[in-house]
Amino acid sequence: MSKEKYKLHPISAVINFAKVLKEMIIPFIVVIALNGFGGREGAGDWSSYITYGIYGIMLIFLLVSGIIKWKRFRYWFEEEELRIEYGLFVKKKRYIPFERIQSLNYTEGIFHRPFGLVKVKVETAGGGATKEADAELTAITKVAAEQIKLEMLQAKNKLTEPIDYSSEVQQVVKAERQSIFKMSPKDLFVLASTSGGVGVFFSGLAVFVSQFSNVIPYEAIYEEIVVFIRFGALIVALVVFVVLLIAWIVSVVLTFINYYEFTIIVEDEEIIITRGLLEKKKVTIPLSRIQGVRVVENPLRQLMGYASVIVDSAGGSLAEKDEKIRLLPLIKKTKITPILQEIFPELQFDPILTKVPKRSRKFFYRLDYIWMIPVAGAVSYFFFPFGLLSLLLFPLSYGLGVWQQKTAGYYLNERQLVIQYRLFSKVIVWMEKRRIQSMTERATLFQKKANVSSIITTIKSGVSGASTTIPHIEKTDAEMILNWYEPHRKITIEKEQPLD
Amino acid sequence: MRAEPINRISKKGLRVWRIYGVFQTLIALLLGIGVGIINFFTGEYIWLYIVVSVIVLIIAYLLIYLFPKVRWTRWRYEVREQEIELQHGLFVVKRTLVPMVRVQHVDTEQGPILRKYDLASITISTAATNHTIPALITAEADELRGRISVLARVAEDDV
Repeated sequence: MSKEKYKLHPISAVINFAKVLKEMIIPFIVVIALNGFGGREGAGDWSSYITYGIYGIMLIFLLVSGIIKWKRFRYWFEEEELRIEYGLFVKKKRYIPFERIQSLNYTEGIFHRPFGLVKVKVETAGGGATKEADAELTAITKVAAEQIKLEMLQAKNKLTEPIDYSSEVQQVVKAERQSIFKMSPKDLFVLASTSGGVGVFFSGLAVFVSQFSNVIPYEAIYEEIVVFIRFGALIVALVVFVVLLIAWIVSVVLTFINYYEFTIIVEDEEIIITRGLLEKKKVTIPLSRIQGVRVVENPLRQLMGYASVIVDSAGGSLAEKDEKIRLLPLIKKTKITPILQEIFPELQFDPILTKVPKRSRKFFYRLDYIWMIPVAGAVSYFFFPFGLLSLLLFPLSYGLGVWQQKTAGYYLNERQLVIQYRLFSKVIVWMEKRRIQSMTERATLFQKKANVSSIITTIKSGVSGASTTIPHIEKTDAEMILNWYEPHRKITIEKEQPLD
Repeated sequence: MRAEPINRISKKGLRVWRIYGVFQTLIALLLGIGVGIINFFTGEYIWLYIVVSVIVLIIAYLLIYLFPKVRWTRWRYEVREQEIELQHGLFVVKRTLVPMVRVQHVDTEQGPILRKYDLASITISTAATNHTIPALITAEADELRGRISVLARVAEDDV
């Protein structure tokens, strides 16, 4: 065990500086802009020099503090712990036992890449109340990063040595190091265009439709309205279209930067995701932390045969807003099953769903009418001729309800529950019984009369939970699912097996 | 049909809910009086007084009498060796199953009103969810908290 203390690469000083600068850039611009306008209105020359002087001093201060932070930072390995020492004015020390480390995440930013460096984020279980990762090594060489990993594995193996299968596990694990999934540029393009793309599509459609107002004999109705529709609608539609087009181009570019060379590798019981053009990000998720897998298809993607896959992972730092990790940001639907099957061999990916009974169809749209009736009534009354368009909400909401009812369903086997539902996008969720934290059967008085009820399951996702609902299924089915979830029933089954 | 959980919450809980109902009604009453005063100085619509007082009366009936009663009769719980089952709800009846293996910790809590009636609420937390049984006799709540924490420790992961 070496007690040599390591420093970060000097470039960290620059990165620290750039990071603070990046955070301050907006207030800076605001202050400079305000000052600039104030200056023109007739203040003395020297006063503006003072303000620039202050900026200069602040910049120098930031640079110096970046350097000091780098100078002060030390990390070393001692007693199976990763120990770091840091701090600008106050010296702080943090000791992280290796066995507590859940994952090491690597990021290569633009500053890192010319020198072959990485940023290492150390994450521990549970995800405390702290907003940042548990430890962050701003810039170290890849060799040093590898060394941390080795030290960690060594420490962990020492702990698991008494268990004899550890070496076996290691062998199995080393064998499967090839990429499971890679995103092609075409997929990237589809991903970018279908995420914000729905809006572009519809606004394009609106422009198209507004051209048809010539064909429809509006003249017969109201001349003024025709003028309004011709100009008002066309201009609004055009402006909206242009704005959305720009937003779309930006989103394509951003997607390319963020998801460039998206690759998944499964190794050491961990999923490793690498991605990024300017900043190369590497995220590791231990398979044991994954609580649920969901395949999401928004209607546009469903039409094109694409879907995305998201996994819920437990713990992690609060900094990543939620721990819903995009495992496969976009993929042809036909290719999903083999890939997921390879990562999660124990899950059943071709479930035969039990559908929702037809008589519960009304529960999917009826509740919406409660707010829609007064709203549509008010809108129709106050904006008389056009307000009547709000009545279209009713058939639309009915249609959506029917669609939701047709999509919804579930599948159950001994160990897992699969739920398919739709709000607008179609979602299929796989969860193992042992990952479900609690289950609730929910029935309104109307549902009770119709003999249907909903099941709500909650799994852990990030630092809190994620709930999924199987809507309005047969009461007997709902009770069957509750019985399936109830622990002691399963144990009796297990006890019976040895007798056979 | 699954059988309902057997235990009810304390009868005194009903009284506490009625007290909460009284407080909520008082707020509604204050709002009603406010409307009445504004009406007195500006509009003086007689019908408005009637409408407001009827609304306040309805609220009083619902919040003080009906809702607590329905909620109390609905509320059932049962702590078994392997799981906890809860049933509650007013218009929407919810029935929740929490396996002992998933229980992370149990808390009891006692506000000023609950303390006056020697009651406590008990909250069962899993890694992702919280479940509260609202009004139990303090001694009973303490005993239950102890029992759940023992059972949770003993329960084994069966999968």
